[in-house]
Amino acid sequence: MIAIAGVSHKTADLPLREALAFPADALASALARLREEAGLGGAMILSTCNRVELYGQSDEADRLEERLADFLCAFHGRPRSELDAFVYRLSGAEAVRHAFRVAASLDSMVLGEPQILGQVKEAYRRAEEAGALGSSLIALRNRSLAAAKRARSETGIGNNAVSVSYVAVELARKIFGALRDRNVLLVGTGKMSGLAARHLVHGGARATVLGMRTLDHAVALASALGGRAAPLSALREEMAAADIVISGTGAPGLVIHRQDVEAARATRGGRHHRPLFLIDIAVPRDVEPSVARLDGVFLYDLDDLRTVADANMRERRKEAAAAEALVEREAREFLEWQKSLDVVPLLKELRQRAEDIRRAELDKARRRLGPLTPEQEQALEAATEAIVQKLMHAPTVQLKEMVKNGHPPEHISLLRKLLGL
Amino acid sequence: MSAHHYLLVTLGLYAVGAFDMLAQAIMRRRLLTSWTVTATLVGFALHTASLSQRWRDAGHFPAVGLHDSASILAWAIVLVSLVVYVRTRVEALGLAAYPVAFGLVLIANLTPASESGDPMLQSLFLPIHAALAFFGYAALFLAFTMGVAYLVQERELKGRSPRAFYYLVPSLERCDTISGRSVAVGFGFLTLAIATGMLWSQSAHGRYWTGDAKEWAALAGWLLYVVLLVARRRTGWGGRRAALLGIAGFAAVVFTFVWMTVVSTSVGAAQ
Repeated sequence: MIAIAGVSHKTADLPLREALAFPADALASALARLREEAGLGGAMILSTCNRVELYGQSDEADRLEERLADFLCAFHGRPRSELDAFVYRLSGAEAVRHAFRVAASLDSMVLGEPQILGQVKEAYRRAEEAGALGSSLIALRNRSLAAAKRARSETGIGNNAVSVSYVAVELARKIFGALRDRNVLLVGTGKMSGLAARHLVHGGARATVLGMRTLDHAVALASALGGRAAPLSALREEMAAADIVISGTGAPGLVIHRQDVEAARATRGGRHHRPLFLIDIAVPRDVEPSVARLDGVFLYDLDDLRTVADANMRERRKEAAAAEALVEREAREFLEWQKSLDVVPLLKELRQRAEDIRRAELDKARRRLGPLTPEQEQALEAATEAIVQKLMHAPTVQLKEMVKNGHPPEHISLLRKLLGL
Repeated sequence: MSAHHYLLVTLGLYAVGAFDMLAQAIMRRRLLTSWTVTATLVGFALHTASLSQRWRDAGHFPAVGLHDSASILAWAIVLVSLVVYVRTRVEALGLAAYPVAFGLVLIANLTPASESGDPMLQSLFLPIHAALAFFGYAALFLAFTMGVAYLVQERELKGRSPRAFYYLVPSLERCDTISGRSVAVGFGFLTLAIATGMLWSQSAHGRYWTGDAKEWAALAGWLLYVVLLVARRRTGWGGRRAALLGIAGFAAVVFTFVWMTVVSTSVGAAQ
């Protein structure tokens, strides 16, 4: 039996999530305590800024999810009654579905964001290192991560950038195709423009940084980007060679005027038909808005980038239904597979099979023997029962032992095959 | 099965491919499904069977009259778009190619096959000239669609409001490159088609140039493409201007085709 208790961005605000988070260095001891106090065969703790979840596996299914919730509150010294409204508690099929959806980023604050997959992987890895992971959770990990990867590759749930700096990169790729050997010109050394430039450089672009008042910051940023620095006075010449311009200065007025862009494009030599992509992420804006009307010039300010991010998000939501269906299918398959591995029904079936055979053989014997005295009848019953009991003893004990030790799943399917069940 | 039966099944399969792709584009923005691929490939095989059957039935290369011309043009468009897809992996190619192929096969299904015993059609020039022309048309059609994709997407990007094309077609750079290469290839075919057409005219009528409207349109389109190719080579200009000129050139090509197959009924104009 698998259960999950936790809080996420959907049920709790940031302060509460922070209060219930598990710091990385306390994870190993928390896992040990969790297994101990909640009586678990296996445990995992997923603690990110958007969710804190305890995964537990135990053969004693009774109140499993409540035991997890109890531990979550007790560990952080919060009374259960206070947190009941925020902590969700899931068990069995519900818990499995939830685990699949979380890994596939269907439960994320930003639908389809890629980090969660790595975070889930990391959480399982840490639990495994701490020796806390049980067989069911190992199986859950393997199947849910595989399903998450399928959802990402077979549906568009992770397509299209939804953060401003990635949108800038996506637009650059939509205009220029490959970024290799494109020239990026940074005007100003703001944090956001640095971030966008880093993505572009990562894609193969070359960076030039223009310093505002002093060159110090520009030189530092340029060396971090593997590019070069120049003074702002070189704007027109530098822009003539640029494909992409990112402007993010703190200047109160315009920094790039229409005349600058026109002059730069006039001096581009054979390049004046090439597109020019201007990204203005300054507030107040750096680039004269009428520049957008120039032929071959694409100008995006911060609001425009956000508009694109919103549109991209809508595209992702269109894909969410397909991803949900895929994940649901995988979760159901996992549940069915899990059911087939359960030893309790296996034991029951095995005993039933033995009893059926005993009865059938007994009836056959009676027909051959004719009428029996009650003593003979009793002796026959006792003898056959004893045979069945003795034959069944070892497998029963062994199966129960396997349950306790967290049997490897292959054993059960092998057993089923051998016993013809 | 007769050529016409093959063509009817082809129509159905192309319909599946085209409509599946369009529906996917609208609903999910994913283009190529196994439905489209299977339907198009099987459709293309049957289409080929239909054309070879028709060649046998007609007794000459099936490129005369609207029925045959529409069918073979659709065939060339599907083949060229498949080849370009294999080379570029751009799924959006099919977005225009498959519906147009469907439309052309529909026209072919609705029009009767023209029968003619004109001895001119027995000339070896017919298959050579027609094959060159139709492959040229198909390549230029592809260049035209990538040009349109370029223009619409540029408009979306310049207007800062990404819509359908932003999500469906490749980058401006790639649209431009594919369009440019298709023009170069299409132009080569077109040039050879015009040359073989003139030789055919010479051998049949004793004149290289008959002054037919179709010939003037072909020449106009050819000249527009010359300008386009020289401009691309010399000044490196591509993008919007190239797309617009490519569209103008293609309009002349379409006029040539329509004039040849619909307006002009004389066999002499089919060269």
